[in-house]
Amino acid sequence: MDENAENNGDQANNKAEETEENEGELSVDDLRAELEKIDIEVPEVEISEVHIQQEDAYAEFPMSYKENTNKEKLILAYAENFRRQYVHLYRDRKPLLLNPVNECGIEKFVSTTIRPTLLPFQELYGYDNCAEFVADYLEFQALDPPVDLPNQLVSPTTALKRQKGNSFDFATLLCSMLLGAGYDAYCVSGYATREICLMDQTRDICPLMKKKGELKSEEKKKEVRKYQVKPPKDLRSKFDLKMQARREAEEEAKAAERRKEEEARISELEKPKPDALHGLRIHCWVLVLSGKREVPDSFFIEPLTGNTYPTEDDKFLGIESVWNHQNYWVNMQDCSNGCKDLSFDLGDSAKWEYLLHSSEKPSLEIPDVEAELYEGLDDDEEEQEDERHLEMPPSWVHPILVTPKEYETRCPLGKKTILYKKARLEKFARYLLKDGMITKLSVYDDYELKNLVSVKEWFVNRQDKLELRVHNHRTGLITEYMQQGRLDCMKEHTYKSGSPGPETDRTMVFYDKARVDGLVKREETPTEMTEHFKDRDDFLYYRHVVFSKRMKKFGASTDANHRPILKITERFHRNKEKIASEDVSECVFHIAEDRIQLTFHCEDKRVTASTREFIKPPNANDKSQTITMTPDMTSTFQVDTTKKSPKNLYIYNMLVSLVEAEDQSVQAIRASEEEIKECLLERIREETVSELSISVYDTERNEKAKQHRKELERQQLEEKLRRQEQELDYLAPFLAQMGDPEKIARQQAFKLKEDCLADLKQRLIDKANLIQSRFEKETQELQKRQQWYQQNQVSMTKEDEEEYLAYCSEAMFRIHILELRLNRHKEMAPHKYMALEQKIRTDGRLSDYF
Amino acid sequence: MSRLYDTVEPAVIDEEMLQKAVEEQGPKDEAGRIAKQEGIDFADVLALRLDFKNILKIDNLWRFTSLTKLQMDNNIIEKIEGMDALVNLVWLDLSFNNIEVIEGLDKLTKIRDLTLYNNKISSIENMDALVDLHVLSVGNNELDQLENLIYLRRFKQLKTLNLNGNPFCDDPNFKHYVIAYLPSLQFLDYRLIDENTRAAANEQYTYPIQQLEHNEEQARKRIEDQEAKETEFNLHKGAYVENLNGSALFDSMFADDTEGPKLALLPGVDELLTGYKEKYTAICQQIFEYGLKEHQRRGDEVTGFQTAVDEAKEDNRNMGMRKINDFNEYRRKLFTELAQSSDQAHIDTSLEQHNKEIDKLWDGLMALEMQLVDQLEDTIKEFERNMADMVSTFVENVQALISQCRDLENTHNEKLLEVAIVTLEKMVKNELDDELPDDVRMLFVDKDTITNAVGASHDLHLLKIDNKEDDIITRANNWLAALMERVHNEEEVKRNRHRVSEINNFIDHLREEVETFEIQAA
Repeated sequence: MDENAENNGDQANNKAEETEENEGELSVDDLRAELEKIDIEVPEVEISEVHIQQEDAYAEFPMSYKENTNKEKLILAYAENFRRQYVHLYRDRKPLLLNPVNECGIEKFVSTTIRPTLLPFQELYGYDNCAEFVADYLEFQALDPPVDLPNQLVSPTTALKRQKGNSFDFATLLCSMLLGAGYDAYCVSGYATREICLMDQTRDICPLMKKKGELKSEEKKKEVRKYQVKPPKDLRSKFDLKMQARREAEEEAKAAERRKEEEARISELEKPKPDALHGLRIHCWVLVLSGKREVPDSFFIEPLTGNTYPTEDDKFLGIESVWNHQNYWVNMQDCSNGCKDLSFDLGDSAKWEYLLHSSEKPSLEIPDVEAELYEGLDDDEEEQEDERHLEMPPSWVHPILVTPKEYETRCPLGKKTILYKKARLEKFARYLLKDGMITKLSVYDDYELKNLVSVKEWFVNRQDKLELRVHNHRTGLITEYMQQGRLDCMKEHTYKSGSPGPETDRTMVFYDKARVDGLVKREETPTEMTEHFKDRDDFLYYRHVVFSKRMKKFGASTDANHRPILKITERFHRNKEKIASEDVSECVFHIAEDRIQLTFHCEDKRVTASTREFIKPPNANDKSQTITMTPDMTSTFQVDTTKKSPKNLYIYNMLVSLVEAEDQSVQAIRASEEEIKECLLERIREETVSELSISVYDTERNEKAKQHRKELERQQLEEKLRRQEQELDYLAPFLAQMGDPEKIARQQAFKLKEDCLADLKQRLIDKANLIQSRFEKETQELQKRQQWYQQNQVSMTKEDEEEYLAYCSEAMFRIHILELRLNRHKEMAPHKYMALEQKIRTDGRLSDYF
Repeated sequence: MSRLYDTVEPAVIDEEMLQKAVEEQGPKDEAGRIAKQEGIDFADVLALRLDFKNILKIDNLWRFTSLTKLQMDNNIIEKIEGMDALVNLVWLDLSFNNIEVIEGLDKLTKIRDLTLYNNKISSIENMDALVDLHVLSVGNNELDQLENLIYLRRFKQLKTLNLNGNPFCDDPNFKHYVIAYLPSLQFLDYRLIDENTRAAANEQYTYPIQQLEHNEEQARKRIEDQEAKETEFNLHKGAYVENLNGSALFDSMFADDTEGPKLALLPGVDELLTGYKEKYTAICQQIFEYGLKEHQRRGDEVTGFQTAVDEAKEDNRNMGMRKINDFNEYRRKLFTELAQSSDQAHIDTSLEQHNKEIDKLWDGLMALEMQLVDQLEDTIKEFERNMADMVSTFVENVQALISQCRDLENTHNEKLLEVAIVTLEKMVKNELDDELPDDVRMLFVDKDTITNAVGASHDLHLLKIDNKEDDIITRANNWLAALMERVHNEEEVKRNRHRVSEINNFIDHLREEVETFEIQAA
């Protein structure tokens, strides 16, 4: 509207000029006289009205948003001048974004829209988290049309509030945060591909799916030793080997070719459709220059997605200008080859045209030491020079604020979905979903996202410590990863989605250090179970069980119907305290065949191991009977032929202990089965409840802490009230009458009491009188109206009558209330009087006398 | 003290008594039956109880070599003896006997629990061998010297001590004394020592204990120093250059030399000797350092060789074990299959196949062994060559250095002779300034005598040097010979025989099994 006013003024001026031209022959004085006659009416009224309207609409914005300071006006004029020169000199170049209007419709210079701020969140100190935050927090709105600069650039605060914006808003906010965190960051206005401009990531691989750089297993360099046995002679035909190698090489080459073709096909398939506006689409992103915050190389941050790109990336097609909170540079380099060959030395005025010749331009060159040395001497000169330079005014934007809650909620409504190539990524705020899910990645087989391959779900704050669940839809396997701290110490649990019950295919991995039995892994199939152990005192590390089909039991049996065990295999590590030939390495209980097979460890220098086999005596499992043994029940193979065979007694004792061990193993297996069942039940329970744990430091969500805090607050408030009451001394005015004596004499005390009570009495009476008088007044009024009504009843219209009736009922109501109040007052007055008397009696200052 | 069985004739530990005790205390039930059937070997018995037997003399226990627990309480034993064979004994109970002196325990290093309750012991002694003692009971004895308890400080593991009923228990300081002087103790007279008592006791005896600890510390340090010195000396000895890092060899040259000291008194010889000694010692030092360096190199060489050999053996062993495991797997499958099959023809062919597999296994294992033998042979040859080179270089260098010593000695001798002749001339002319002792004067009777004296001294010195040289060279060569002997024996012959017999044994076993199976099947 300001422009409007100016236009009016211009028109008036023009008129004046016209007048002058028409009456060219008049003298100067006449002209002056003539001119003075012309009264230029400035439509002030209109303007002020418009202003008022504007102020109404932008009432929520602070003053600095709605007007320009002198300094800002100066810089705007300067920028305008710059723009004119620029357009004049470079007619074929696109316009620059210099003075867009802000959300209040005021022109603001772009640099002043950047407000460097460091937000109070530890994570936001790094550029990657900043970028991610901005990308998550704001919702993207594409530029319309995509080839024109936006005419409005809102402040970062407003962008945050609205939670939406175009790429310029994104970049401004991100740049503000990065500058606050100490990075050498710039907003870049330029051109990018369609995918970048429209935040289309469907051609990118989801970052969560990218394989981490395969750890190159460092090949341990074999020490070159002086002694090395020669490898055994290779007796194969060299020719055959050569031929085979050739064949393999050929096949390899073929396979490589096939792969290449396939890749080419895929890349062809994935190629974006040609873009008619390629190279014209306007985009704004962030440039971070190397140097500050130990950034080794300059790079781009794409604010819409939060991804970083090297400056050579071919997705960025050209740069018009860059700016930060201090200055504005126009790119004078050729961008026909994208951003590949651009130099980002902003101090080089041949490549970057600056707006303000001022300030500590970030020249990439190392400052001359000598120059700095003499800087002190040239101070005066510099100061003079400085004065001539225009300075960038401080930002008009208010500090950027993000509350912890907003920070946690992040995306608008706490949800965000990103589509990637063959994948969909969903993000949720913490505590938003009841099951604690924060990220969900669905991987598909095709580009249309129809064929689900696998789903990965990440969780936090789960009471059951579930961290990640991977559901592979191809194999139907679900793997759950748990954090440490569960009662059953589970670490991973893999099972088939179709059959979650016990005695099916599953693998459980445990935190073995936390378990008493050192269990690492338990694998199950319908008929087998394998357990792996670690660091056990009895050196057991492997137990394998084969079950047979459960036998049908008839009749109601009370004890659990276990699957019969066919075979148990147990393997042990070497126990150094025993002799190798007496240290069992593998023990197989053929329960179905009543046989026990033992294999002992190999001695250090031998290749064969001793074995022993027992046939279990028929009554072995009967506890009440002693086991009998005959020599033909055992057979053995001894490696060491020179050693004499052990005594029968020794063998007998071994048999007895083995029978016992078998019993224990069976019990352990039953216990394992039981544990699996319990585990599964527990998992089902946890899954249905899906409780989330809340940190004791989380004051927002922790109910107990909240209550406690509220309670504290309440107590404080009460305390405060009580203190106020105490401070309000009812005796103060009477004491003041007596001149605030240090000590109250008996006489004075009585007088004080008298006065005080008399005063209360007076006030009570006054109050009663007041109510009384009002009561009477109301009654009188009512009576008057009634009289009037009776007199004029005939001539009254219906409306008047209604009005009268309404009045009557209202008046009656008021009278009734007053009556009630009076009665109540009468009732209460003596009590109040007594209470005061009691109070005076017990008052600390007067209690001596009463 | 009159006992009921004092009147009874003392018993003797004889075969019958031992047999009876072993059988009574041995396994029961079925195990007992089996044990009886095959007879119990005394060497297998772990615990033996011989109480209330009226035994006077401990005897005939030498066969119980693995015994860990021996109870001989309530006898009339007067002397601890005849237990040197019971080296595995952990628990020894000799309570209620008539023992007067603790003795005869020097071989029982594993004892943890020793009970000598109710005897006539008047002094705790002769127990240095019982390093692992945890529990000691010497109550109801005749101990009357509290200071005697300091002896128990050497048992760092001693937790429980019973002293009740000894004369010194009447001492009012008794308890505090024991607690303060035996800090490792947890139970005294079967009662837990509480912290308060311990603190009080420590306070009471702070100074004497500090003194004691200080002394013990010093003694310990002395022993440590000595041990360190000994190990160092052993290292030098291993390098054949012991006593060469100083003037020991030089001094030894003059130790047996009767003429030398006399000649040293001649004018000018003193300076001559000092210079000589300096140079000589420098060369000795050179030999010493060279020797240590060479020793180190030899050591490295041997370790390198050994690791290479061990690795090769380990690889070979693993390959062998893999072969055997594969075979075992095959065999297991085969037998389970055969157990279910009733087709005789099928069984026969299978067994045939099995026999072939056994042959193949034997071939494979033997081939592996032969391969290893070849490999080792080459490596050993290389090693032998290198070692021989190394030792001969060492010997040559040492010889060169020692010949320098010899040269020095020769020069010295010449100079000495010169001095002697000059002195003789002076003496003849009676121009000698200072007085010489008479026995020195005796040498200067004539020229021959003095020349002989100098010559004798010289010869002696050369002999010493030669001896040292011989010593070093012989020992180095002997070491090499012994090493190679061992290597050939252990790595080649013994190992090979061991393995071959093992393989054959295994294969035989497999064949036997098949035969038994065939018989069963048939």
